[in-house]
Amino acid sequence: MTTTDAWRDAFKEAGALAVTRPDPKKSGLALSAHMPAASLAPAAEKLKAEGFTLLFITTADFSEGFLVTYVFDSFTEHRRMALRVLVKDKSKPELPSIAHVYQGAEWHERESYDFYGVVFTGNPNLVPILLPGDDRIPPPHLKAPDAIASIRTLGFLGEPEWAVDGWELAPEPPKAAAPPAPKAEASGKPPEAGAAGKAAEAKPADGGKEEGK
Amino acid sequence: MSNFSFLNPFGVLDEPGTYMGDFYSHNFAKKAAPGNVILNLGPQHPSTHGVLRVLTELYGEFVMRAEPVLGYLHRSHEKMAEHKTAYGFLPNMGRVDYLNAIGWNWAYTAACEQLAGIVVPERAEYLRVISAELNRISSHLVWWGAFVLDLGAFTPILYAFDDREDLCDILQRVTGSRLTMNYFRFGGVGEDGDERFFSLIREFIPRMRERLKMYKGLVTDNVILRRRLEGIGPMDADMCLRYGATGPILRAAGVGHDVRKSVPYGIYDRFDFEIPSYKDCDNFGRYWVRMEEIEQSMRIVEQAVEQIPQGKRIMDKAPKPAWKIPAGESVFSVEGARGEISVHVISDGGKSPYRVKLRAPGFSNLSLFAEASRGTILADAIAILGSLDLVIPEIDR
Repeated sequence: MTTTDAWRDAFKEAGALAVTRPDPKKSGLALSAHMPAASLAPAAEKLKAEGFTLLFITTADFSEGFLVTYVFDSFTEHRRMALRVLVKDKSKPELPSIAHVYQGAEWHERESYDFYGVVFTGNPNLVPILLPGDDRIPPPHLKAPDAIASIRTLGFLGEPEWAVDGWELAPEPPKAAAPPAPKAEASGKPPEAGAAGKAAEAKPADGGKEEGK
Repeated sequence: MSNFSFLNPFGVLDEPGTYMGDFYSHNFAKKAAPGNVILNLGPQHPSTHGVLRVLTELYGEFVMRAEPVLGYLHRSHEKMAEHKTAYGFLPNMGRVDYLNAIGWNWAYTAACEQLAGIVVPERAEYLRVISAELNRISSHLVWWGAFVLDLGAFTPILYAFDDREDLCDILQRVTGSRLTMNYFRFGGVGEDGDERFFSLIREFIPRMRERLKMYKGLVTDNVILRRRLEGIGPMDADMCLRYGATGPILRAAGVGHDVRKSVPYGIYDRFDFEIPSYKDCDNFGRYWVRMEEIEQSMRIVEQAVEQIPQGKRIMDKAPKPAWKIPAGESVFSVEGARGEISVHVISDGGKSPYRVKLRAPGFSNLSLFAEASRGTILADAIAILGSLDLVIPEIDR
């Protein structure tokens, strides 16, 4: 496919929830599509058929959930694109694996499993890759409760160019003064968060600042 | 007897203490066919280039299955980024990949600069190109020496380190260090090149050209080396695509993708150079591509030294150590010695980045080893491993 518009339509067809077009000069991304977990593999198939490769998978911890980003690039089109999934259930984060489409995804998924505890169902060998296998430690990249930010306040994902009716990435919680509530709830749930929090407590100062922003 | 395995003499039990070996060897042995031998390479074996461990299942001399075990050098650079200021994280970039520190310097600074819209002065751009290309040459030289050493030739690594010594001297003049270089700053570079710096480069290039001729006669055209490399370890374009392999591995598979040419960053579009690619997809292709890249890097350095303008090494009002990256997200890729280095930064505008992802090319490149080594003999598997140009600290981060 030769245009970014064509890709936007292709992602729509694959079942995207919303497509945003970030400023490529600033973000380095041509297109970013929010996918439901079930549509990840079909979208990846499409990208692979057009000669895209999986550059990396990265996960970030937000108060609304884990934002998993798959970044693809093509050796011919040179158009970097991202598929994103927000895993809302932090106590039992789960995503389908795309290792059957891109074999290289196996290791990237294992890395997210190490750092955030996201379980990729269907990954052929989901054991720790960078952390010790026989001596499991709590996922070390979870944010401490005072350092965690909300996707809504961050707003780096931008306004969607197209979205399914009524779609919102992270709907505002029903109570008006809610920010502290989902925060505490979200990071309190996983049993590992306590230890991760201890590690991160060395920097209590900037958490408040981030929330204020 | 059919269920017997040396690693699990008591049968297949998962409780620690009931099996020999560790978690990974046990996990690996579960799928082993009866009668096959499981051989553990590394993590301290010289041919694994650092502390990489590879579990192999052998049938006689043939590798039926292989699984790299990583993490022996994991230092949590990504977590460190979330705890340091954007500026304070710069020294880490020299430590991710010790052979190609400048490549990582560039990827991280440029990702932040892209987000902040910082424009780097001309002279700094040239200094960036010069240092990055010299660093690429020194990385390829170390790879070359170590790779040939893997294949049983001891002498070349001594020649390679002799040349690299010159490069270290040159880079030390501007970066201040010989290995863990921390040279780039937001908005420029840390030190301007003086007359001696440029004259050393002018002396180095003709000398290196002579040496490359010698290496060609001594090593590249050597019939024993050719037989160890030609036709061994096929990695075609489709395989590179499925695993995300980039750099010389991809170019040896006939795909002329190089970020410097495909999506020119910095001022790479001003230089006249070629992207060597090779169609045979084998070990020799990867060898050849890297040797050619040394020559192409020298061409770039020559042109850059010729064209470099007078000016500032860093922009006016460059970001101070307490500088905060503006809120947003940014991905930036550069062509490192081993492939496409990408840095993904998410910032909330706070004093540390919210999340930094380091995409190490070696990580993706190594992930295809399991498939590439299947069915080869063990000695060839070692040659394939060497041809991937592994730097373990980069893979483990």
